Amino acid sequence: MSDPKASLPPSPKSLERRTSARALNQTRPDPSLLHVLDVEHVSIEIRGKRILDDVSFWIPKGEFVCLCGPNGAGKSTLLKAIMGLLPVTQGTIKIGGEGVVAGHHKVGYVPQRKGFDRDFPARGVDLIVAAMRGKWPARIKPEERERALAALAKIGGERLIDKPLAGLSGGETQRVFLARALVNDPSLIILDEPTAGVDARGRGELLELMTGLSRSDELAAILVTHNLAAVAQTAERIVYIEAGRVLCWGLPQELLGQQSLTALAAFQARDHHAHAPDEE
Amino acid sequence: MGILTEPLGYEFMQRALLAGIAVAAVCAVIGVFIVQRGLAFLGDGLAHAAFGGIAIGLFMGASVEHAVWIAIPFTAIVALGIGVVLRRSALRGDVATGVFFSFSFALGVLFLGLRTAADRPVQVEHLLFGNMLSVTPTVLYVVVAVAVGACILTLLLWSRLAYAIFDPELAAISGVPVAMLEYLLLAETAVVVVVAVKTVGVVLVSSFVVIPAATARLVGTTLRTATILAIVVSTVGAGVGLIASYHLNTPAAATIILIHSALFAGAFAWSHLGR
Repeated sequence: MSDPKASLPPSPKSLERRTSARALNQTRPDPSLLHVLDVEHVSIEIRGKRILDDVSFWIPKGEFVCLCGPNGAGKSTLLKAIMGLLPVTQGTIKIGGEGVVAGHHKVGYVPQRKGFDRDFPARGVDLIVAAMRGKWPARIKPEERERALAALAKIGGERLIDKPLAGLSGGETQRVFLARALVNDPSLIILDEPTAGVDARGRGELLELMTGLSRSDELAAILVTHNLAAVAQTAERIVYIEAGRVLCWGLPQELLGQQSLTALAAFQARDHHAHAPDEE
Repeated sequence: MGILTEPLGYEFMQRALLAGIAVAAVCAVIGVFIVQRGLAFLGDGLAHAAFGGIAIGLFMGASVEHAVWIAIPFTAIVALGIGVVLRRSALRGDVATGVFFSFSFALGVLFLGLRTAADRPVQVEHLLFGNMLSVTPTVLYVVVAVAVGACILTLLLWSRLAYAIFDPELAAISGVPVAMLEYLLLAETAVVVVVAVKTVGVVLVSSFVVIPAATARLVGTTLRTATILAIVVSTVGAGVGLIASYHLNTPAAATIILIHSALFAGAFAWSHLGR
């Protein structure tokens, strides 16, 4: 199925982890539930290098999934493909039964805090209305402002509506981005390391908000994070990716409790190192 | 009133005022995006590329007026080259611009040097510093046509350009053609800069792109207000500077830029002390 020359060569440690992972009990979602996201046998090659190799999983309505794995595992590539920014080489991605282009309006996206131009003269309301229109607003209509305010109210951020983004703390900025992601009533929300670069207080607040999201029965979510506390508190299921492949896909209690699984132990160690320098 | 009516009684001053306001307005509209994109050096780089293009035209036997038609595609190619390096390498905008700036200017000096004594003489000083007071009716028509066209195009694309500059990834997810818009902005800037070089010169044109946009950025709290303020600062500065240069008997473009700089200083002081 895949070109052996282009595939990532598995290291002996990676092979050992795959063997350990296969031995784990991994409970998959009930297939009778409504599918919000289907990733089916997806492989992605960039400039001849295979970044994702035969990745398959799906997310039912209302489930909060943590997508974990070491740096370079292919998590960001997978997110870009789900959002239609990267074409898949093989396989299919469906959002609510539609292709990524047709289904993109069903996805809300919270990027990493460092992704946008912090010097841009923008207020919270501009950012949220931009998501509603698909372009930057020159003027904001009263009904658009009302919708932006309602989205901010869902996450307790009404006071941020007219605040310049440049003056917001990391936690406040991510609150506005979260409201932006929620404003179009998506069925799937993608959170790409939302706590990276956010101070300890902001991380705590965001974690609380994400926990609230994970309790929603309507909204499915994918959280990419190196923060194990966030995984433990929010995950209803974990998809663990390493070297472009899904290593495990199961319930948190099945995967997080397995100290023998070298992969997750290594992940925990990375979590500790990855977050220390981010703290403000 | 004589302070205005006396200089504007001359046709050359009327043409200079119209050309100055047209150049100021279009440079301000484009400048808002160029400055926000972190490419403040681009105007300078493209102005020097325009010098290279004009020099190639002169070497081919064209007059300074007609060499502009060689300079426009040459500068647009340089702008697109900067865009390609910017998008396909880890180099920052100032580095990419610096490389093309040096290459184009060296090419200009080389081609000017290759001209023989038999070729028609060229006042390099006019190329470098411009001469607003010698704007001919033909040049005025070209300047106004390019300025109006570029302003309309930029304002039509304003919402998408703004989103693409704020966060290219979010804009792309919303279906904004980010790469195409960036190349379009670079090519448009190239055309505007070449035409502006005819009036304000190679050395001073980047000031028209950068200073009003930077001034507006200090005061404006949204991109919309920053765009409006940049246009106001730029055109008022051009008008006041031109009239002041007549009464003070100083070079027009330089006087305009000094007025722009004074407005920048005022905005800087206001943003730090007045708020």
